[in-house]
Amino acid sequence: MKIAFLMLRYASEVRSPVTGDVIRLLGEWGADVEVIYPEEQVISLNAVRADHDLYVLKSRTELGLGYAGALDAAGATILNPYAVSVRLRDKIALTALLQAADVPTPQAYVTAHPGSLAPLLKDGPLAVKPYRGSGTRGVHVVWDPEDLDDVPSNQGPVFAQRLVERGSTETKVYYIGGQMFGVKRAWPARTYADKCGTAFTVSPKLREIAQRCAVAFGIDAFALDIVGSHDDPNVVDIKSFPTFTGVPNAALRVADYIYDAALRATNRRPMLVAAAGRKAS
Amino acid sequence: MKAVVIGTGRIGCGVAAQLLRAAGLEIVFVGRNPQVVDHLNRVGRYIVRLVDSRSSEDFVVTGVRAVLSSDASRVAAEISGADIVATAVGCGNLMSIAPLIASGLAQSRKRRTNVLAFENFGSAGDCLSRFVAGCLKGTRRASTHAVSGALVTRVVARREGDPAGDEPLVFVGDRQATVYVDAATLAAPLPAVEGMVITDRYDAAVQRKLFTFSAGHATAAYLGYLKGYRYIHTAVCDPEIRADVLEAMAEGQKALLARYGPDIAGDERTLHEILSRFDNAALNDSIERVGRDPVRKLAKEDRLVGPACLAREAGIIPEKLMLAVAAAMLFCPLADRAAMELSRTIRCDGPTAALCRVSGFSPDDTLAASAVRAYRRFASERPERSQLLSLEQPLWA
Repeated sequence: MKIAFLMLRYASEVRSPVTGDVIRLLGEWGADVEVIYPEEQVISLNAVRADHDLYVLKSRTELGLGYAGALDAAGATILNPYAVSVRLRDKIALTALLQAADVPTPQAYVTAHPGSLAPLLKDGPLAVKPYRGSGTRGVHVVWDPEDLDDVPSNQGPVFAQRLVERGSTETKVYYIGGQMFGVKRAWPARTYADKCGTAFTVSPKLREIAQRCAVAFGIDAFALDIVGSHDDPNVVDIKSFPTFTGVPNAALRVADYIYDAALRATNRRPMLVAAAGRKAS
Repeated sequence: MKAVVIGTGRIGCGVAAQLLRAAGLEIVFVGRNPQVVDHLNRVGRYIVRLVDSRSSEDFVVTGVRAVLSSDASRVAAEISGADIVATAVGCGNLMSIAPLIASGLAQSRKRRTNVLAFENFGSAGDCLSRFVAGCLKGTRRASTHAVSGALVTRVVARREGDPAGDEPLVFVGDRQATVYVDAATLAAPLPAVEGMVITDRYDAAVQRKLFTFSAGHATAAYLGYLKGYRYIHTAVCDPEIRADVLEAMAEGQKALLARYGPDIAGDERTLHEILSRFDNAALNDSIERVGRDPVRKLAKEDRLVGPACLAREAGIIPEKLMLAVAAAMLFCPLADRAAMELSRTIRCDGPTAALCRVSGFSPDDTLAASAVRAYRRFASERPERSQLLSLEQPLWA
């Protein structure tokens, strides 16, 4: 069984130990695991071949995604699929899909010019985000029209969400092959211990939301960023194949899932464990 | 010499026929699946792949043929000419194959034919013997037939390949080759078969396997299921589960020590050797397969309740075995009919009544009470289809 991870190399002080442990476990279980850093090589597009039974797309860089696209064209089996990963990068398409799947999200807007958002501020603050971004990078919280001057206007569509206060904690729901795990952690998380947070039992409401996301996007491994109250949760972001930090025995669970997915790939069985064909309930 | 092997599954192909063929016997399978029977006749061979974490080795079993179990007259004719009849059909199917065996034995000119039950429960030989005797009543063979239990130590986790195709099927198992055969009930001397050990202490050998290996395997499966793992090798990587599996096996081993002494019970190293077999990822042994049919596995003399009762007799508190019983009561993969039925019984009649029904405990038994207490602790806050995050302080995902 040959598995490749497409990754971006991180400095050791910011790197989560989970992915390293996943790779070690898969190796111990007999898988032939290769880590590919697209940023560190010259890729000949004439020679891209699907040499591995399964590719795990961990990198969220443009080059990582592009390489995944080339592998996809060469017939590779990728976790999560290339087309889905592309869609998840685009906050406009992502939000539209979430809304179509009846997943509660904050009111969202898109425009060409940040200044056009000014009239919306009378109803409350907005979080303006790069439409192709992830995490908190490039996010501007805008309370007053003059704050919009700080938002870059030359970087493509401007995406904004109605700000829902998350207070001093954030809520993550992780989805691993049909299983869901909740983690609450300090916001903003500064240390690794902060990032690990505290596990909690996922409520039926959050469970339903996560399942809807899995079905809507056709993915089995993702994280949801949840804001809002217990009774009125809102999904503000969805990340494909995150580090799963904070999930108890995360490395073991993720390795178990990837091992199973690789077996499915080698036996030409359907890849999606939970998302395919299961209605949200 | 000829052996008829009834059952074309993992144990029939992956153990019984492989050992008998290696000893030079001609192999004729009896199977109920027309596609597999047709495949074996068309291809004439299959592969037994023995794997561990470092390597794998293929053994090609050649020169095999097969007949359909529905073709009773052909089956009887094959059995009548056999020197050995082996069964590997699962305990629930022994009654249905007894008439086939009886009919073949009745036609046989041999004075005695060994029938070996490669079934994974201790009294398989006795059971099949009774069923066959019932069918032979009034015939000249009624008093001369015998069935011996044949205890398999190998795990054969799966079959690979497509019976519709022309490539040989592959049966994947670990490297254990020993089969213990009950000396007391052999009808005639067996030919030399490498790996086959004729023993006068068959019952002890059965209990040794059930109360250590099988107890640990089941504990890994049921606790692994609760925590949401897919494979046995993953479950035993979880430190909590690994410790509990080892402790459950130790409880069984202490019970064996009190009953049979150290020759049978083994020592701490024995348990670590067993645990290292569970680590064998090359088997891809799924938790759903190992935990399958908890109703049978919770029976009085089976792998969890059996050693627990024996441990109690020896003054040992079988805490982890009872924890595994509690976890087994929560085991309910959708494809496992017995598990779903147990789950339904628990819902309708309550956990105590359900456990007593499958395990033979009386309602006031302290072991049953401890298993039910553990069950309630797990079940009380469990959201549907959720995974346990910690065994110590039950928190569900």
